[in-house]
Amino acid sequence: MKKLLSILLALLMVLSLAACGQKEEPAPVEEGEGKVFHIYAWNEEFKGFFEKYYTVPEGIEVVWTIVPNEGTQYQDALDLALMNQDSASADDKVDMFLAEADYILKYTNSPYTQDVKALGVTDFSNTYPYTVEAASDASGVVKGVSFQCCPAGMIYRRSIALDVLGTDDPAEVQAAVADWDKYREVAAKAAEKGYIMTASYAEDYRVFSNNTSSPWVDANNNLQIDGAIQAWMDQAEDFVAKGYTLTSGVWDAETTEQAAKDGKAFCFFGPAWYYNFCMGPAFGADAEAAGTDSIGDWGLVDGPQAFFWGGTWLLAATGSDNPTMVADVMNAFINDEELCTNLIKNEAQFTNNQAVNNKFAADPEFGNRYLGGQNDTAVFAAGAKNIKFQNQTIYDQGCNEGLQNAFVEYLKGTVTKEEAMNNFYKALKEKYPAINVPEA
Amino acid sequence: MAKENKKKHRRSVSYAKWAYIFITPFFISYILFTLIPQFLTIYNSFFENYRNGLEQIGPNFVGLGNYIQLLTPDKNGTIDFLRYLGNSLSMWIVGAIPQFLVALLLAVLFTSSRLNLKGQGLAKTIIYMPNLIMASAFSMLVFSLFSNVGPINKLLVSSGILEKSFEFFAYKIPVRTIIAFMNFIMWFGNTTIVLMAGIMGIDQSLFESANLDGANSIHVFFDITLPLLMPILSYALITSMIGGIQMFDIPQVISNGKGTPNMTSTTVIMMLNNYLGISKNYGMSGALSVMLFVITGILGMFVYRSLAKQYKD
Repeated sequence: MKKLLSILLALLMVLSLAACGQKEEPAPVEEGEGKVFHIYAWNEEFKGFFEKYYTVPEGIEVVWTIVPNEGTQYQDALDLALMNQDSASADDKVDMFLAEADYILKYTNSPYTQDVKALGVTDFSNTYPYTVEAASDASGVVKGVSFQCCPAGMIYRRSIALDVLGTDDPAEVQAAVADWDKYREVAAKAAEKGYIMTASYAEDYRVFSNNTSSPWVDANNNLQIDGAIQAWMDQAEDFVAKGYTLTSGVWDAETTEQAAKDGKAFCFFGPAWYYNFCMGPAFGADAEAAGTDSIGDWGLVDGPQAFFWGGTWLLAATGSDNPTMVADVMNAFINDEELCTNLIKNEAQFTNNQAVNNKFAADPEFGNRYLGGQNDTAVFAAGAKNIKFQNQTIYDQGCNEGLQNAFVEYLKGTVTKEEAMNNFYKALKEKYPAINVPEA
Repeated sequence: MAKENKKKHRRSVSYAKWAYIFITPFFISYILFTLIPQFLTIYNSFFENYRNGLEQIGPNFVGLGNYIQLLTPDKNGTIDFLRYLGNSLSMWIVGAIPQFLVALLLAVLFTSSRLNLKGQGLAKTIIYMPNLIMASAFSMLVFSLFSNVGPINKLLVSSGILEKSFEFFAYKIPVRTIIAFMNFIMWFGNTTIVLMAGIMGIDQSLFESANLDGANSIHVFFDITLPLLMPILSYALITSMIGGIQMFDIPQVISNGKGTPNMTSTTVIMMLNNYLGISKNYGMSGALSVMLFVITGILGMFVYRSLAKQYKD
């Protein structure tokens, strides 16, 4: 018994010494850095690109923790890990984590992320300014980079456009949907021919929410419904009543089914990752094999209003034991021309490297086969310049999801409009006690 | 006399201490993992203590503030806490009635020496099976069965019963029925086993003498089985009720955490989950847990009293 105890004590001492040693030594470049590179993410998208195109330094093992985004599960898991960062063993420390536009502010404005310029990410000349703005804290310290740029547009079905508008030419389709009034006219025409405009009541939500003139929560923590959000609610109500759209959510099977071969939806809204990553029934390998795909039947235009959606930022976690690799990964995804070229060419991404994007935008040979050979990079390259990162709060995900969840019940006729709004306010107050909501 | 007793006592070996030693691990773990957290919950319920983003607010002492907030009616006069508690209880009751009726019937059939059913072992295993599946997996299964593009809807549409698919999860009664039905399926096997144990504990000679006296099975059931089963039945009923009040995973998964439609499938534990989610609101969730503890205690007492009274009569 005594022997066992003494061995245990000795082990404890050695371990604690080892732990001290790691902290006191100033991290020499590469030598002495951790053997495990730990990344937190909410889906497999970045993991796929990382594994394909980034060469991991020898001797380092990359560990992924992937938690789904919905309902703030990802943030919960990440927060817990970041708060335990100090006491975590070197191999368990988060080195880098992914964040979305909806909640990036929460992390950049916290001590849990660190200045990447100090780590060696210094060349931002090729990135789009809004991606750097979004990754900076209130005093302008840059805490990470985005590996993609997400200007979005309206993805329309060529065959349906031809039937409804008599043309499938992007310039003419754009002219037909240049503003919301015209867009509504097209919706009415499409409905006459037996089509639906969008396959989800929330399909165009991001277009409105991205063009708000005030944040969700003001300086005094009062919730405010912006005019653009109100306009979305009115339009969604009108569209559902007239049968121009469905009451299923953006990610529901009923909605994505409408992108398949016999789908009836005139358009979808989204950035490059949307049709590349989220329109499985339209473009997926399974669908293609089964002959139910709709590859080539799509076109891309700016749509009624410019907007961006999502984007994946790589943030450097404070306390990382692999600072060199963190910087290297970030540099690779914004400045490595070969890597960025691969992302565009093989993955249909729109990268955060202007030079590479513009090269493809100007290439007449380049086209996306999903879009019938249209050069989508050219459309996005024009749109990306106009993106502003504004009116964001740390509550955006909860507000955006919460409003859609509550409002769709009204659209389905389950509750009155007032009840829907009350449910939204109550759910928000339960989740975020700091927000002042109207009395529900 | 007294002296002699003392002597005797000293001479015999006392095994009592071993009993205490054997039960200490339970008490230690109970104190560490149940009792102390319980007191901490009560303590926390008097504080404002949550996170705003990554910034910690509190803990600030607010007295009964959290309880007052929890019990303040909204502008329509509803107290959400009680409303959600009502949701939990009504979904439990709808599931518990068939659960106990079926379990009682099966328990009587399985234990009947007259019938002596064959293949009992297999039957018992099968009815217990649903309880072994994880509730969330079972919920996912049922959700996809009843979803708008799921097999049930496709079947109803293709057989011509419905014109277009029916959105089961958009209406209160189908959602609650589905949840209650799932609870029933998951738990009736368990209740059957418990009640069988209870029936088998009843002295067989009572059944035999009743048979000799010419009592029919209905008389035997109501005059012998049921009264003598009361202690076990009330135990099963109270544990089932506690389970019902703590209902969480099935409605959470079925409604994707939203408690739709119009919060009618939001249970009180889903409310707790919302408080504990992103903002780690220990104050409000503490207050909610304490209220739930008290209410469970009162309801349990009520059920026990009413059943025990019947038994005495």
